[in-house]
Amino acid sequence: MYAQLLTFGAAFLGSAVESVEALTIVLAVGLTRGWRSPLYGTVVALVALAILVLVFGQLIVTRVPELTLKLIIGTLIVLFGLRWLHKAILRSAGVIAMHDENKSYEETLKELHGSVLRQDWVAFVIALKGVFLEGMEVVFIVVAVGGTSGSGGLPIAVAGGLLAMIVIAVTGVIVRKPLAQVPENTLKYAVGVVLASIGTFWAAEGMGATWPLDLASVLGLAAIYFGASRVAVMMIRRRKPVMA
Amino acid sequence: MRFLRAAVAEVIGLFVGDWAQTGVSVGILGIGWFVLSRIHVAGIAFLIAIALAAQIVYATTLEARERAGRS
Repeated sequence: MYAQLLTFGAAFLGSAVESVEALTIVLAVGLTRGWRSPLYGTVVALVALAILVLVFGQLIVTRVPELTLKLIIGTLIVLFGLRWLHKAILRSAGVIAMHDENKSYEETLKELHGSVLRQDWVAFVIALKGVFLEGMEVVFIVVAVGGTSGSGGLPIAVAGGLLAMIVIAVTGVIVRKPLAQVPENTLKYAVGVVLASIGTFWAAEGMGATWPLDLASVLGLAAIYFGASRVAVMMIRRRKPVMA
Repeated sequence: MRFLRAAVAEVIGLFVGDWAQTGVSVGILGIGWFVLSRIHVAGIAFLIAIALAAQIVYATTLEARERAGRS
């Protein structure tokens, strides 16, 4: 039960963050150039991403031995989670700017204004590229978290990812502007801690380690990563004045 | 072709921000694997997390210092 909740939660949160970024691009294109082409681009990107999830998900679940899978995917999740955590620490400490959906929206608009000819084709490609590239992270999170969660893990992770995409898309359709109020950086921080913890748990299991209290050890791992991140933020802030 | 290159860069970028830092993380996991295969004590794997956490503290403070030095 806890493993399923963890799988669903990690897939949901990770997918929600990336869906916000993809939605910003699609909204920027749709609101300025009409909806038909960006929606086609979005659908093509979503189909391509779904194929990637199905192919890699099935391949991983059916072909790779469990311990090997945990070691390899666990290691990749650790690297992925640490990367998100690294950026979140620098953002929290004011070293790099917070991700700003309004700024991303304006940048996409600028990109569109630079191309007057073949408007529909440009709108299609920008939406396709934005959704596909942002969606790659969703694919990795869903396949990795679902594939290593044992039997039945992949459908739960897919459900978490899909629900996040639907919630963000519906919210976007209702408000019809970039979701700048979503605490995207806080979410990325949380997902970074969760993924680094789950990844360490699985990678160590793949190495043959046993954890005291089994899955509950993930909480201890999360405490270690969260504690370290706060120490890092504190050390950076002490050295320099906060920029943002 | 540009789209494919962007997709490949995106995939690599999922796991690698700084090659040296990624190398250190993989090195820690490799040493952890070596130790775990010889010492079978429950909970010893927490040391891997502590080493990775220490690594991220070092890497982020180092990057902050470098950025401050450049500006």
